[in-house]
Amino acid sequence: MSILVNKETKVICQGITGTQATFHIRRSLDYGTNVVAGVTPGKGGETHLGLPVFDSVAEAKAATGGTASIMYVPAPYVKDAVKEAVEAELDLAVCIAEGVPVKDMLEIKAMLKGSKTRLIGPNTPGIITPAQARLGTFPENIMQSGNIGIISRSSTLTYEAILEVNQAGLGESTVVGLGDDLLIGMDFVDVLELFHKDKATKAIVMIGQSGSTFEETAAHYYKNLSRKKPLYAFVAGNAIPFGHKMGYAGEIISNGYVSVQDKKDALEDAGVIVFDKINDIHTELQKL
Amino acid sequence: MNIHEYQAKKILSQYGIKIPKGGVAYTPTEAKKIAARSSLRGPWVVKAQIQSGARKDGYFIEKAAGSRGGIRIVKSRKDVFTQTEKMLGATLVTVQTGPKGKPVSRVYIENFEKVIGTFYAGIAVDRVQATLTLLISRLKDKEITQIAVSNPEQILRIPLELKKEVRPEQVQKILDYLKLSPKSAKALEIFVNGLHKAFIEKDATMIEVNPAGVKKSGEIVALDAKISFDDNALYRHKDISRLKDDYENSERELQAAKYRFTYSEFDGSVGCIVNGDGIALAAMDLLRSKGVGTACFLNVKGGVDKDNIASGIKIIMTNPRVEGILINILGGFLRCNLIADGILSAASEVGLNVPLVVRFEGTNKEEAKEILERSKLPIIIAETMEEAVDKLIEAMEESD
Repeated sequence: MSILVNKETKVICQGITGTQATFHIRRSLDYGTNVVAGVTPGKGGETHLGLPVFDSVAEAKAATGGTASIMYVPAPYVKDAVKEAVEAELDLAVCIAEGVPVKDMLEIKAMLKGSKTRLIGPNTPGIITPAQARLGTFPENIMQSGNIGIISRSSTLTYEAILEVNQAGLGESTVVGLGDDLLIGMDFVDVLELFHKDKATKAIVMIGQSGSTFEETAAHYYKNLSRKKPLYAFVAGNAIPFGHKMGYAGEIISNGYVSVQDKKDALEDAGVIVFDKINDIHTELQKL
Repeated sequence: MNIHEYQAKKILSQYGIKIPKGGVAYTPTEAKKIAARSSLRGPWVVKAQIQSGARKDGYFIEKAAGSRGGIRIVKSRKDVFTQTEKMLGATLVTVQTGPKGKPVSRVYIENFEKVIGTFYAGIAVDRVQATLTLLISRLKDKEITQIAVSNPEQILRIPLELKKEVRPEQVQKILDYLKLSPKSAKALEIFVNGLHKAFIEKDATMIEVNPAGVKKSGEIVALDAKISFDDNALYRHKDISRLKDDYENSERELQAAKYRFTYSEFDGSVGCIVNGDGIALAAMDLLRSKGVGTACFLNVKGGVDKDNIASGIKIIMTNPRVEGILINILGGFLRCNLIADGILSAASEVGLNVPLVVRFEGTNKEEAKEILERSKLPIIIAETMEEAVDKLIEAMEESD
């Protein structure tokens, strides 16, 4: 078992004919991911990497039964790409692009509300279930199958977390990179909920960082869970001083100056095991 | 991207928001000329234009600039000249600039507006709710700087819809909260809708009017204004991109921005090259826990151009604060071998005279390590982040 994607998941790639998509889809196919189709407007009818290419997500879904999309489209086109995925009622859309405008994300978040589609990203390495499905840019060679779920706001620290799990002699059930743009699709709570329902996941590692209140929201959710799986957390950004910004509106929104220490305190108070150094995680995981 | 007060005011005035009459001056003579305009009767306010809030309570590093802050009310045209002369070229420090402060390259000369009350208004993105929120606060006995820290929950929050105006009942709520007279109702509606529309049409990430003044007539006027724009949306706003003030950024920051990398400077001695903000934060945390500070970090993000990466690495190598370099790359989207090529190309151009520790993980890691080993350069390779930090500190101590 796993969450969101497994070897059965039929994957459509939006923007498949681009350079990055070609590089990563080839790797995902080699990894065993069940990619069934590609979409590039204007290139419908062609074949790329041995896959049929369609003009729209709706056509690709109708022809192949795809339920998840991995999009390698550039930032300015992300809004339209997500719109297609939502209108085609896909279960999952994974957006890799960095630099999606905030206003576009506000519109995307409004589109997602009440829709069937879950969005991961943007600006994320995506999602990977070891030995089953790779949607994004994860370095698949470092993955090991196992029963630890990983959720992270930071792309690079996701890899660090994977290495910690491996070093503990364990492996991953599914790894989800949330992305760290101002606005993101799924957040910690959404993924924590899925990991708690997943029988194959025995424990969860979450990686947060300074800014916003996503960690506090996660702490609140976890605290109120009746059945908790062990949760291990690292929050980066302790050494960054405040300042270097304009105005106060951002701080007011998040109810004051939320420091990394505040986040750690909130998580600890909720029963989460919190680390000061990310490279200490494996020693604690070994006790599992 | 941030802009100056006078630029922000001009934009807001295009959306129907009232601003005091004024003009921007780069010399004391220009300042005096602006004050002499028939539309400006005085007294005047001489306002240092740096991209920071809390300028009034700031101080200048240079003694010659005088002991007053960056916002000065003056009563004679002669004093407009004198105060402008004092502030221009001086360095203003505020709670938002950090101790280094920011240089004042121009001042804004404005008519002093008589008001019977003031309030704070701001719009920002609520990341958890994924909405725009209008923030309104009374400013009776406290500055917003204090309220934001001590009692942010007292601030009125109005969720805004992306494609609709502020609703009449929301305007009424603000009117009641601020205890404004009914004759300000129309002015308030124009004011909040102006902020909202400017935010959306210009792809802002933050707009702040701190304070807005309420005149006896009921009129509402923006006494100050700040706007931050979404860097990722600048491609659709050529008019805004042109307002960028390079004077506010260091030479190295500008170079990094050219390649779309992020670059930040601090007070320590280690230069970090990373490919994500998270890994940068974690590396800084780890260095600090071992008593070593960070001089700067460069985030090359998902960079795929070898030459750009080399240029980025050169920025770090040429920062005089840097006594050791830590390169920590976790390749996914980014391929490690491109970084290795970049290191060699940068080193061959500017030389490598401080210890350099590299840690690669992920996409094309082995290939990257081979490239560095073949080069015969004194580069130390580590397997984990902590090992990299330890080896760097050791090498820095040896080279002292």
